[in-house]
Amino acid sequence: MGVPYVPVLGLVGTDLLKRRDDMVIAVDPFDGKTRTVVAKAMRPDVAAFHAQKADRHGNVSCGYEAEVVMLAEASRHVIVTAETIVERLTEKEAAGAFVPGIHVDTVAHAPFGAHPAGCAGLYGPDKVHMAQYVAASRDDASFDEYLRTYVFDVKDHDEYVERFVPRHWRDPARAASG
Amino acid sequence: MEYSEAELLAVLLAREVRDGEISACGALSQIPAAGLLLAGELHAPNAEIIILHSAFDPFRTSRQFHYLAQRGEMGLFFVSGVQIDRHGNYNLHQLGADPERPRARFPGGYGGGMIYYAARRTVVFRTEHTRRSLVERVDFVSAAGATPPDVLRRGHPSKVVTPKAAFRFDKDAAVLKLDTIHPPWTLDDIRANTGFELDVKGAIPATPAPTEEELHVLRHVIRRRMIDTGTYAAWAQQSLGN
Repeated sequence: MGVPYVPVLGLVGTDLLKRRDDMVIAVDPFDGKTRTVVAKAMRPDVAAFHAQKADRHGNVSCGYEAEVVMLAEASRHVIVTAETIVERLTEKEAAGAFVPGIHVDTVAHAPFGAHPAGCAGLYGPDKVHMAQYVAASRDDASFDEYLRTYVFDVKDHDEYVERFVPRHWRDPARAASG
Repeated sequence: MEYSEAELLAVLLAREVRDGEISACGALSQIPAAGLLLAGELHAPNAEIIILHSAFDPFRTSRQFHYLAQRGEMGLFFVSGVQIDRHGNYNLHQLGADPERPRARFPGGYGGGMIYYAARRTVVFRTEHTRRSLVERVDFVSAAGATPPDVLRRGHPSKVVTPKAAFRFDKDAAVLKLDTIHPPWTLDDIRANTGFELDVKGAIPATPAPTEEELHVLRHVIRRRMIDTGTYAAWAQQSLGN
């Protein structure tokens, strides 16, 4: 977006405001009296997100969940993983939430790349895995164990999909519809 | 007529909806969802009902919902909090005296820190009325009941509704005042289960019980609609009319 800060309605009087140095209360410069929160712009070095479809030119179609579009527009570098990569997105495919390739540094093919979360329109969250994740989050030891099992001890994305994405999600009929 | 706490709360929340207004609830809000649909079926046929992340959600992104609320078009919103205090502050973040080492953490106030200031009225609901949920001062203010008059704000909390009583928020004094008590609970019960001074002068009226019509529509029409539209269907099946 490239703006230095944005006004935010609300948050005055909250403890959140006390704990954040990137949000302050400012006076409306136009009326000279109304006070509101302004939030310092975030300028991420790198944004990484998963999308439904991308093409060789870096154009990305994110279904209808458009929030990541803003993320891409705000970040210096953008890395996208996608369920499917095509030669060139069609007009129709680019009609929803769309990130033009000029913002995007890299696109990688990663089917089921949103797992254990869902990828809108293609698959929902893996509720069994999510429950394990929540249970593992209870303390540091169990969360370390979770990270070892699902992140550090996994060679690559293919191995992750093979071992942890439910088998029935991967049947050919389903994959074809994606 | 017998009714469950969930049914009572759904009916009481429905009564807060005004015809012609936009009224909404957010995530994990099965009771307000039932209340909103009930109001639409009874006294508020022209209310615009929004149940986020359901078949009754017109938005594709949360930004679209935020912009509508920020413009001041949201008449009524329902929120809950793990703690609610005497000054209408609510806490959806964490418990414990030391903010650096909380005893428990909660999802946080994603949209609440905005919607509490943007909706013209917000009704806070809580399914537990105890001294740990209704407190003198919340451990963490996720959204503030009152703000100085020069702060941009389009609305305020209007009520707090629990299974035992309803409080109304006195905007000028910035305190919750006991409004009605749900029979069979008494003023002594409310005093014993509320963690702040009630400051009651005179008799507190009894909350009008759910009517036969309210319960009938809730248990038949609304229950069916929630199941058919996948709107907290499992909850509706289990909690309404059993």
